[in-house]
Amino acid sequence: MNRQEAEIKLKNTFGFDHFYDEQWETIDLLFKGKRVLLIEKTGYGKSLCFQFPATQFPGLTVIFSPLIALMRDQVKGLNSKGIKAKFINSEQTPEENSLTIQEAISGKLKILYIAPERQENQEWIEATRRMNLSMIVIDEAHTISVWGHDFRPAFRRIINLVKLLPQNLPVLATTATATKRVQEDIEKQISGNIQTIRGELTRENFRLYVICVNSEDEKLLWLAENLHILEGNGIIYTGTRVNTEIYSRWFEFSGINATEYNAGLDSDSRKEIENGLMNNRWKAVISTNALGMGIDKSDIRFIVHTQIPASPIHYYQEIGRAGRDGKPTRLILFYNSTKDENGIEEDVKLPQAFIDGGRPRIKNYSKVINVLKQEPLGERQIMKAANLKQTQVRVIKADLIEQGIIKEVIYGRSKKYEYQFNAPELNTKAFDELRDQKLKELSAMLEYVNLKTSRMKFLCDYLGDNSHTYYQNCDNTTLEPYLINPQDQTILKLQEFRESYFPKLIVESTHSNIVNGVASSYYGVSSVGAALHRSKYENGGDFPDFLLKLTLKAFRKKYGQEKFDFIVYVPPTESGDLVKNFAEKLSQVLKVPISHKLIKTGETQPQKIFKNGYLKKENVAQKFSYSRPDELTGKSVILFDDIFDSGSTIKEIGNVLTKFGVIKIAPLVIAKTVGGDI
Amino acid sequence: MNKELTYWLALAHVAKIQTKKKNEIIVRLFEKGKSIIDFFEFEHSAWENDYDLNQPELKLFEEAKKELSTYAFMVEDLLEQGYGILPITSQDYSPTLKKNLGKTYAPPVLYTKGNLQIMKEKSIAIVGSRKANDISLEFTDNVAKNAAKDYKVVVSGFAKGVDKQALDSAIKYKGQSIIVLPQGIATFQSGFKKYYKQIIDGDVLVLSTFYPKAPWSVQLAMARNPIIYGLASEIYVAESSEKGGTWSGVMDGLKKGREIYVRKPSAKESNANHLLISKGGKAVDLEGNLSSHEIKEETKSIVSEPELNNTEEKIIEFLKTGVFPANKIVDTLKIDWSARKVSEFLKSRQEILTVKGNPIKFAHKNRSIQMQKSLFD
Repeated sequence: MNRQEAEIKLKNTFGFDHFYDEQWETIDLLFKGKRVLLIEKTGYGKSLCFQFPATQFPGLTVIFSPLIALMRDQVKGLNSKGIKAKFINSEQTPEENSLTIQEAISGKLKILYIAPERQENQEWIEATRRMNLSMIVIDEAHTISVWGHDFRPAFRRIINLVKLLPQNLPVLATTATATKRVQEDIEKQISGNIQTIRGELTRENFRLYVICVNSEDEKLLWLAENLHILEGNGIIYTGTRVNTEIYSRWFEFSGINATEYNAGLDSDSRKEIENGLMNNRWKAVISTNALGMGIDKSDIRFIVHTQIPASPIHYYQEIGRAGRDGKPTRLILFYNSTKDENGIEEDVKLPQAFIDGGRPRIKNYSKVINVLKQEPLGERQIMKAANLKQTQVRVIKADLIEQGIIKEVIYGRSKKYEYQFNAPELNTKAFDELRDQKLKELSAMLEYVNLKTSRMKFLCDYLGDNSHTYYQNCDNTTLEPYLINPQDQTILKLQEFRESYFPKLIVESTHSNIVNGVASSYYGVSSVGAALHRSKYENGGDFPDFLLKLTLKAFRKKYGQEKFDFIVYVPPTESGDLVKNFAEKLSQVLKVPISHKLIKTGETQPQKIFKNGYLKKENVAQKFSYSRPDELTGKSVILFDDIFDSGSTIKEIGNVLTKFGVIKIAPLVIAKTVGGDI
Repeated sequence: MNKELTYWLALAHVAKIQTKKKNEIIVRLFEKGKSIIDFFEFEHSAWENDYDLNQPELKLFEEAKKELSTYAFMVEDLLEQGYGILPITSQDYSPTLKKNLGKTYAPPVLYTKGNLQIMKEKSIAIVGSRKANDISLEFTDNVAKNAAKDYKVVVSGFAKGVDKQALDSAIKYKGQSIIVLPQGIATFQSGFKKYYKQIIDGDVLVLSTFYPKAPWSVQLAMARNPIIYGLASEIYVAESSEKGGTWSGVMDGLKKGREIYVRKPSAKESNANHLLISKGGKAVDLEGNLSSHEIKEETKSIVSEPELNNTEEKIIEFLKTGVFPANKIVDTLKIDWSARKVSEFLKSRQEILTVKGNPIKFAHKNRSIQMQKSLFD
């Protein structure tokens, strides 16, 4: 098919008159059974490069994509053009996925989107035996490279697969963000005479700003006063999940129409927020960087980062989601350059911590290796046997598989991990190299922050696009910088917010009468944690009175003037009477009688020594009772503890009290930890 | 090599075409310096003229070609789970099997899990009935014990009776074994769990020649028997009746001129061991030892083995047969050099390649399968 013929078909199916030259070049190579790496900026029209040939091939085109939102949008778009396309991912029920697989086998589909993790699924592997494949596409191909900014181990298997595919089966890899090094890595991995097509990365409509601040508060203040001035709707990226919550509460407090989004939300809520974003329901969605990847919204007018991303590639990728319609778009990056007592700038700490904590300790690798030398184990079994967090086990597993030390083997319906005969020693040199690389990238990000010249030029150069566009449109060139100059009343308002914002404890479940509770503060982000630590572990005596005041305030905010029959407290494991004494003070002020009858029926270990939810739950299961259960029937109680971590203890006691007839259990704690695992 | 595996599976599992035909294609590819990938990309005319495919065969291979991408998925899955896939041209493919079964019967692809080096060792198979008597089991235990002592591998078919005893004993005496499966390799989870320690310690290799997902069946169990015989350098018969798998296997082996040792039964036993001895099996006692006049013959044959006098030449020649570490070379060639000396010598030679690892291994540059005169001796 020549270009002219193709463009007639293009007009009929997709409604476009012409291909861009690089689009046609790509499509022509695919028609010839070649392998292509296509690097083009977001909004260029990369998807057309596989969607069009897919409609022309006799068989099925499979698109591996890590972005669920993108699958949904693209499938919708294709279906509306009458092209048979579907997706398989974790958002659908197994039955829906099975149905889709059947349709793919019977040749009813032209295009199938699939998450890379699916390559580990036996039903899928089985089904591929009966599919008539015409092309394979790897979307977001930078994720196949460890040198890329968002490496996904699940793609390792896709790469192995691509290496094994017959030589003349067309393969397309696409990405918007690949440095020269990532490009070379992708080329090497996909092999088979791959041809690379690289476009220009500059985005003329971007207005780039960096705002240097002297405190976290200044970010909140600037946004409260200026968000409404920014044209259109947009996204605010915070570095952590906790911050999505804090920013969201602050905007609520300030009367700004915004909502929060993070990976902790269930899939229905996530979908609803994604829909709301499409319809501009809020001025801004406050999110971790999980939102917006692959969302087909062309008019995101601004993106604000309250924390610096890990590298200029991350930054380019994240802001790339905005302004796809080509209209002016603001990209604002905050940076808190205040130095701490060690001379370290505040906003370097978070990305630095991600780099330092990115890999588990070598000792933990050895633990996993040792338990797997004894017997094949599943993920949960490894977590239990090695006492490690799920997140850690997952990183370790992926690394050990990558190095050929263990393998993931299918045992019936479950997966187990097996140590391999003749396995090599753990290679930690690779980890060090990667760490060095990440530190380099972080310092390049700081370079961007402190830059005095064109910001877009810096980003393009960094990403290996050396087309030397002279580019203006940033606060170092043609634009007026944004300044921090808050009004007194906004400052007062923030202070008020700080004193009345209390973290929620999510513990409700259908078979327990426990309700979601409240904490007076986060453990790590205030002086509260330090005060608790002094009392508990440094013989600092009773918890100080400012904690009592704060806790009472949190109680009133959450429960108002609601009446309770008792206050009970979690019996201690190791910190003596601290919790009891504090509960007595609460009882006096609240005028709710205290009960000492909640008791332990067995030994428990301090919860903090267990590194995952399964072990924490096991530690406290069946370990609590109440010495006079008869007095509990029909009562409402306050359940008090000092620190809320995984919530296992509070939930377990909730179950016990529910069994004894309590109709409402209201949790109240001094501090909630950040980042409790499962 | 990895890239070729997809094509190897497609060839190995073409239905209705005999192993001999498949091996002839492979041999011809090597003679012409072509790869298996090339084969699948030939025009029909080349298939017909150069590879003697007839019309029905052309059709079958055309079908197989369509399934290439699906085989890619299967290969990826198998490798990911740690299974080995060894085409007959692989350096890891059992040389014993290739030699014993030849072009007519040697399977084009082996599926494995475990220590591949086991296939390079001297090996014995102990065969016999599923319902063997106690004397047969004792014999099996004795033979397996001696094998472990002599660093010989025990090949077992993983059936009840003698097979199972042979495996259990080999493990008991810390010897090495090969389990030859009567099913596809990916359907043996219970066994992988049971022999986990032995597999990861390198003492057990599990091997199958069938389609990886094929469940156990009588046909596969029968088809597996020649593989057991083929993998073993020596065959011991513990107990055979006058029909069934053991009997037909041994008769087949004798016909092919294999050395087969048969336990001499006592007068009270009613089995076909005597009959096998009368048909050419060599009688052995309960310990598996030959009667005295036969030992003499054996010794004689060893003495007549020609001896190379130049040690250096001997080492270089030896390396044309495979990839080995220095100590293995010393042991196998029984030379009076230290492993260190062998190492130093080999590192100084231009025609020798070193293979990184612990220990370092050595290979001859001209060892590649393409350079061999023929794939089968």
